[in-house]
Amino acid sequence: MADSQDRKWGMVVDIDRCTGCNGCVVACQSENNIPNNLEEHFNQRRAIQWIRIERYWEGEYPNVKARFIPVMCQQCGNAPCEPVCPVYATYHNEEGLNVQVYNRCIGTRFCANGCPYHVRFFNFWEPEWPESLKNQLNPDVTVRSRGIMEKCSFCVQRIRRSTREGERDEVQVEDGDRALSPACVNACPTTALTFGDFNNDSSQVSMMKEEAMANRGKKEGRGYRLLDNLGTEANVIYLKKVDNSAGAVHGH
Amino acid sequence: MIPGDFQPQRPTSRQMVKLGVLGVVALGVFVAIVLGLTFHISAWLGQPVVFARSEGPDQPIAFPHTTHVQELGMDCTFCHRNVEKEAAASVPATGLCMTCHSAVGDDLDEIEKMRSLYEDGRSIHWVRVHRVPDHVHFVHEAHIRYFSEKDGIEPSQVCQTCHGDVKEMEKVKQVETLKMGDCVSCHKENSAPTDCATCHY
Repeated sequence: MADSQDRKWGMVVDIDRCTGCNGCVVACQSENNIPNNLEEHFNQRRAIQWIRIERYWEGEYPNVKARFIPVMCQQCGNAPCEPVCPVYATYHNEEGLNVQVYNRCIGTRFCANGCPYHVRFFNFWEPEWPESLKNQLNPDVTVRSRGIMEKCSFCVQRIRRSTREGERDEVQVEDGDRALSPACVNACPTTALTFGDFNNDSSQVSMMKEEAMANRGKKEGRGYRLLDNLGTEANVIYLKKVDNSAGAVHGH
Repeated sequence: MIPGDFQPQRPTSRQMVKLGVLGVVALGVFVAIVLGLTFHISAWLGQPVVFARSEGPDQPIAFPHTTHVQELGMDCTFCHRNVEKEAAASVPATGLCMTCHSAVGDDLDEIEKMRSLYEDGRSIHWVRVHRVPDHVHFVHEAHIRYFSEKDGIEPSQVCQTCHGDVKEMEKVKQVETLKMGDCVSCHKENSAPTDCATCHY
């Protein structure tokens, strides 16, 4: 536990690799005991998806392209959701995680209103699963009850478990370890998502971050943060889509 | 009417009755609130203490830790096998009991109960004694490992820190409150993390 103080978790999302398959969404639902979202929940805008795929259409027919962005909690370094909580149920920990403490939450929903990414979800109902799915609930994750807020935790239960098991078996838990990585990262078939420690210079994420952020603003620089102008200092870095066909479409 | 000429009206008998009824209702509400508050506060403060002082629940089979641990000198980890490996300490299956009890303790009622359960392939539905509050993820393995390394003691000597002297208990009971105060003060003493997400996730 001693070294846990100086870790800072982050993620790099390569939009160029994302095919919009929703594998991460399903993996997240089952890892984190998220109740089944029925059609009416979506219609009421009350569906819970800790990670979602946003779909955008680009171009005019017949040159229409679908663009996908996986959006999860950005674990902001300067999070708008934190100062508004009257009961200190959401706060920033030493590992750079924006933590939601379920047993403190009283359900004011201020945080969800403060969040510019729409990644906080309120439990409007008591969570329900079909009978056949009740035994698949993850015992490492709290089942949230009605009236409290929840959001992506970067699968903190996996971080805790892998750290502990690493200490038990005296092995170093490396970044990119499947036991450490969140469910969405493990599920991604095209490795569009990369998770790791930004404070560890040799980790894959920090190298990707460094490369992406070094060329920011330049043509070859692909790195950006969502809604960066708000100053949220998000810990999720996105890499722009590389569109080789863009030139052809416009006749260059 | 000039000032000073005011004569207070005598309440009519009808108004007196109304006032009386209102008074009784208000008194009733007040008593109900006081009783409710007393109940809730005492339940919140006192429950684990009462629980700790009490005998501990009756188990389906009166398993005596005294006989097994104190007299026979068995190690905690012999039956609670998972305690050094995983989050849950685990209670053994009847199969483990039967490694000895297929031969030992023929004339005892409790052992016959256990044997018949074993033969039917059923498990013993033990009554849970120790339970941490909701939303907490407690891991036995990490705590056992830390204390046995720190103090250089056997893993089975760590158990009593939270569970008390189980080897002297005829019936297992809870001795610590196992509330967050207990956890946090011990974490502070041992400079373990007190970040909420250490246990709550």
